[in-house]
Amino acid sequence: MPTFDLTITAIVIVGLIGGILGVCGYLTLGERKISAWMQDRIGPNRVGPGGLLQPLADGGKFFLKEEVIPDHVDKVFYLLAPAVAVGTALLALAVVPFGATTPPPDPVAMATPNAMATFEAQQKAYGESFNFVLAPGLDIGVLYLFALGSLAVYGVILAGWSANNKYSLLGSLRSSAQIVSYEIPLGMSVLGVFIIVGSLNPEKIIAWQAGAGAASDPVLSHIGLGSAWWFVLFQPLALLLFLASTYAEDSRLPFDLPEAEQELVGGYHTEYSSLKLGLMLLTEYIHLVASSFMVAVLFLGGWSLFGLESVSSDPIVAAVLKLLILCGKMVGLCVFAQLVRWTIPRFRFDQLMNLAWKVMIPLALLNLVAVIFVKQFGWSLLVLSGVNVLLFVGAGMLGARTRGTVTNPKRAVKKMPPGLPAGVTYAGR
Amino acid sequence: MPIAESEVAWVEETKLGLWEQLYIPALIDGLKTTLGHMISRKVTEQYPEQEPTMPLNYRGVHRLNRDAAGRVKCVACYMCATACPAHCIDIVAAPAPAEWQKDGREKYPETFVIDELRCIYCGMCEEACPVDAIELTTLYDLTGFSREQMVFDKEKLLSVFDTTTKAGTDPVRTQAGRLSVASEAPPGEPRP
Amino acid sequence: MPTVYVNDKPVEIGTKRLNCVQAAEIAGVFVPHYCWHEALSVVASCRMCLVEVGDLKDGKVTMQPKVLPGCQTPVKDGTVIVTGEYDKRDKALPTLPYDPGYTKTAPLGDRAKKSQADTLEGLLINHPLDCPVCDKAGECKLQDFSYKYGRSESRMVDVKNTPPNKPQLSSKITLFTDRCIMCTRCVRFTREISGTAELYVAGRGHHEEIDVFPGRPLENKLAGNVVDLCPVGALGSKDFLYKQRVWYLKTVDGVCNRCSTGCNTYTDTNKDIVYRIRARLNPQAQGHFICDEGRYGYHHANSGERFVRPVMKADGRFKPVAWSALLPQLKQEFADAVKANAKGVAAVLSPFLTAEEAFLLGSYFKSLSKDVRLVLGPVPVIGEDDTYPKNAKGEPVEPVKFTIRAEKAPNRIGVEAVLKQLQGDVIPFTSIAKESLSAMWFAGGYPDPSHLDALVPTDWKAPALLVAQDLLPTVMTASAKYILPATTGFEKDGTFVNHANYVQTFGRAARPPPEARTALQLAFDLLGRKGLVQPDAMRKELARAVPFFGALAPETRIALEVAGERGA
Repeated sequence: MPTFDLTITAIVIVGLIGGILGVCGYLTLGERKISAWMQDRIGPNRVGPGGLLQPLADGGKFFLKEEVIPDHVDKVFYLLAPAVAVGTALLALAVVPFGATTPPPDPVAMATPNAMATFEAQQKAYGESFNFVLAPGLDIGVLYLFALGSLAVYGVILAGWSANNKYSLLGSLRSSAQIVSYEIPLGMSVLGVFIIVGSLNPEKIIAWQAGAGAASDPVLSHIGLGSAWWFVLFQPLALLLFLASTYAEDSRLPFDLPEAEQELVGGYHTEYSSLKLGLMLLTEYIHLVASSFMVAVLFLGGWSLFGLESVSSDPIVAAVLKLLILCGKMVGLCVFAQLVRWTIPRFRFDQLMNLAWKVMIPLALLNLVAVIFVKQFGWSLLVLSGVNVLLFVGAGMLGARTRGTVTNPKRAVKKMPPGLPAGVTYAGR
Repeated sequence: MPIAESEVAWVEETKLGLWEQLYIPALIDGLKTTLGHMISRKVTEQYPEQEPTMPLNYRGVHRLNRDAAGRVKCVACYMCATACPAHCIDIVAAPAPAEWQKDGREKYPETFVIDELRCIYCGMCEEACPVDAIELTTLYDLTGFSREQMVFDKEKLLSVFDTTTKAGTDPVRTQAGRLSVASEAPPGEPRP
Repeated sequence: MPTVYVNDKPVEIGTKRLNCVQAAEIAGVFVPHYCWHEALSVVASCRMCLVEVGDLKDGKVTMQPKVLPGCQTPVKDGTVIVTGEYDKRDKALPTLPYDPGYTKTAPLGDRAKKSQADTLEGLLINHPLDCPVCDKAGECKLQDFSYKYGRSESRMVDVKNTPPNKPQLSSKITLFTDRCIMCTRCVRFTREISGTAELYVAGRGHHEEIDVFPGRPLENKLAGNVVDLCPVGALGSKDFLYKQRVWYLKTVDGVCNRCSTGCNTYTDTNKDIVYRIRARLNPQAQGHFICDEGRYGYHHANSGERFVRPVMKADGRFKPVAWSALLPQLKQEFADAVKANAKGVAAVLSPFLTAEEAFLLGSYFKSLSKDVRLVLGPVPVIGEDDTYPKNAKGEPVEPVKFTIRAEKAPNRIGVEAVLKQLQGDVIPFTSIAKESLSAMWFAGGYPDPSHLDALVPTDWKAPALLVAQDLLPTVMTASAKYILPATTGFEKDGTFVNHANYVQTFGRAARPPPEARTALQLAFDLLGRKGLVQPDAMRKELARAVPFFGALAPETRIALEVAGERGA
């Protein structure tokens, strides 16, 4: 266990939250800029050089806007909702590694010689290492993250319910259905990773991908290749499912039904103004950042990047490199999400539900079964890559065979005779 | 009104093959398009520094044209007020001053008020005017500090004519301006 | 029965002496015309009413088949009329075995149609196309007929005649000489109806002009009718000149309230402002025309001096009061006054009130006490009845075609009928003018306050509690404790009874000022009835309560309206 120091932890917390908020601010700028570029526009360019101070102006505006609390709202929940939303989002960051991490040492069998000494030494080394994560060595790490992710829906539901407004309520209803549905593929898709690594601890998962895991594989150990055994190689389908699920969880396009502006004004945050609205919007970006970190950690090797992380033996330089690599991956994933936003149109609600329940959950389940088989029989993980591709193509073929999208299976289209269908009566006729 | 069943065309969804069903190729296709646009030429105009030139048929602020003698061309026939779907034109007509009557001007607008805030800039007034007295200019940046400022009276509308013709942005588009039709004497000829 | 065939439709004309235009009208066929007017002599100068006439070829010779002006051609048994709209006839009727002999070269009706189109082209040769500035545009017969019967293009290549306008024609009327189509309706009107003969036709051919004799402008009390008569925009009313375009105006059938003739009028309003009064045909009331007094007698309704909200005198000054506070106060004060001395309380009902208003107000005061007296308000009588036509010396001649009554109130007989019913006799205002009363309710509505001022004795002493409801400041309102705004005859529904006991109902043309209440609504409120007044219900109540108005029961009323419509 690394040495616990209140001061250092406090500094890290403040630094992390500050950093994340800053990143979120600039993500909004990035989002606006990318949107603009994609639409052949320039985007915000008036505040600061090239519009770089735009987030400050936006933030300032959120502070200075009139705070309107409508009369018809349920005050307690109305005020609670943004706090819950932003609180859970920030809490989730506690287990998210954002830089170099060292996994806690495995237990040492008493039978081994010098067991005690080895253990002590390992523990000492671990205690002296610095982990770029608020709560290092948390064995239920990812589980905690999912738990808080589920809590996040409270913010949305409270906001929608307390606003006492049809649009808000509709938005929050959609949101709750959506988030609850997508939690299943979200969790199920990464179960394979946990089974392979044998831990829920993000540090361990990174360490596995950085080389520790490949050693125990019958085929990979012969190939070598150092630190490039990211889970994206063995679990591409799981990555796809996980990525899609995180977009749904974060209410990003194409799954932004909770706040579909064209349909619901603003969704669950219609009645919010000023800083509360700011918090609501911020929450989504924190979610995006956190989930991007998680994708990077679980599937894209965390802080490892083809050996680049270990070019320098200087621990400080190495730590900075790892921090930059992981954060770079996170930013890359965020930008990818923004690209996807303007590429894929919004799903219809039935398509959304069909996608979760009829496609993603079965695929995740089959993937899990495959992982169990591989693990049980000690096969090489490369088998999983093949199985993943097979599952993906198989699902596509199944969809093609039904001659309609699986997400929106072909319905019988009957040419109706003119006039009212027989047996149908309309009120007032 | 419900849509009649006869007006409904039932279409079947396009059949998707394996390639489309895989979704990822389509996503990549889409990304190609969006990324292509990211690097394409931008169309943004930097407005306050870079002012756009409006086409002549742009429908901006109204003006009241003057005739050759500098008098308001309007004959207060209320055609524009009648045509106006927003009811933003208010005219008070009066017999024209005695010296105008020598030129056959019998009626003129004592006041001519357009509520530019109420106006929807449809250009119907311009269409309706029998003497081409009211025209919509290319002035697009109409602002004011109060509602009253945005209610343009005759003098203001005439000054719009003066400024736009002086600036050359909106030349006088028509040569008519007398009460006549094509089957009568050719335009430009003085009224006998 | 003598039968005339109009576009194949047989019409029985009985013993009536009709021309083709009238016979066609009975058959439901409109023959356009400018110069012909029912009340004026026939000149057949416009040639717009050209129709083909002929006979059935059944051996009896009635008409020679040819195109003739319909207004000048009397019909008789067996006459066949084919108008220019023969192709729009009722095709269900059996085709008449009629062959004028020329149908091989042109189909039936084509000659009349072409003749009318040519007539219109001729009329338009000198007519300026200044419809945008012409006040007649929108109700102009030249516009309407050109659209319906004319051709779209003029072949005129020469310069038009543009004779100068003649605003000096009259103080009330101006002449746009170039717009005139020389129908001479105005000339005939001044010669035949008013008899004053100010107008004549000067010049010949294309240089004909309407003009007045030097030093004799068109100034008679019926002069305004020439504006109504003018089918184009040549004669314009200076009172209405350039005030409104006619398509903005809302027209309501009204009854003139300026004298006891009870002329039928059209009240033209826009946004609750009365802009124009025109004559409405009612042979039973006055005929085709109205006098200038009634025509221009609407300005009191738009006067800036009108009382628009109830006021109460406090400390020597009038202060506005809200109706909600005022009504209970009035009721209380009158109840107290009646309790103290019912004999000293009087309600004056002016002859400008409608019968319904008089009845309801009277009922209220009689409900306070039988001893409260209902008094007929001062009835202005100015001079003698003025009849037209006049001769050259200005003396009236027989037969009388129009009468301007001396009694300048529309409803004396109606109010008297109500008073007789409610208290048995009519108490004139003069009989109580000398008394010292404790309280008085004066329901006025005098459009001309000078009329009332002249009738109130100079030594008249106002009672302590005087409620005056009137339009404009008078001696009554000056000494009143409360002044209530009254409504004009254009702003209420009601019933007037004219000098000949002719009962006429009319509708509201404009809404009263927002804070004014009609006397009817006021009486309704005083009686403590709930809701808003419904004029029809009030009329029925009046008809049930006062036998004089018994004919206003619903069935009779419909019959009256039908009669009125036929007249129009």
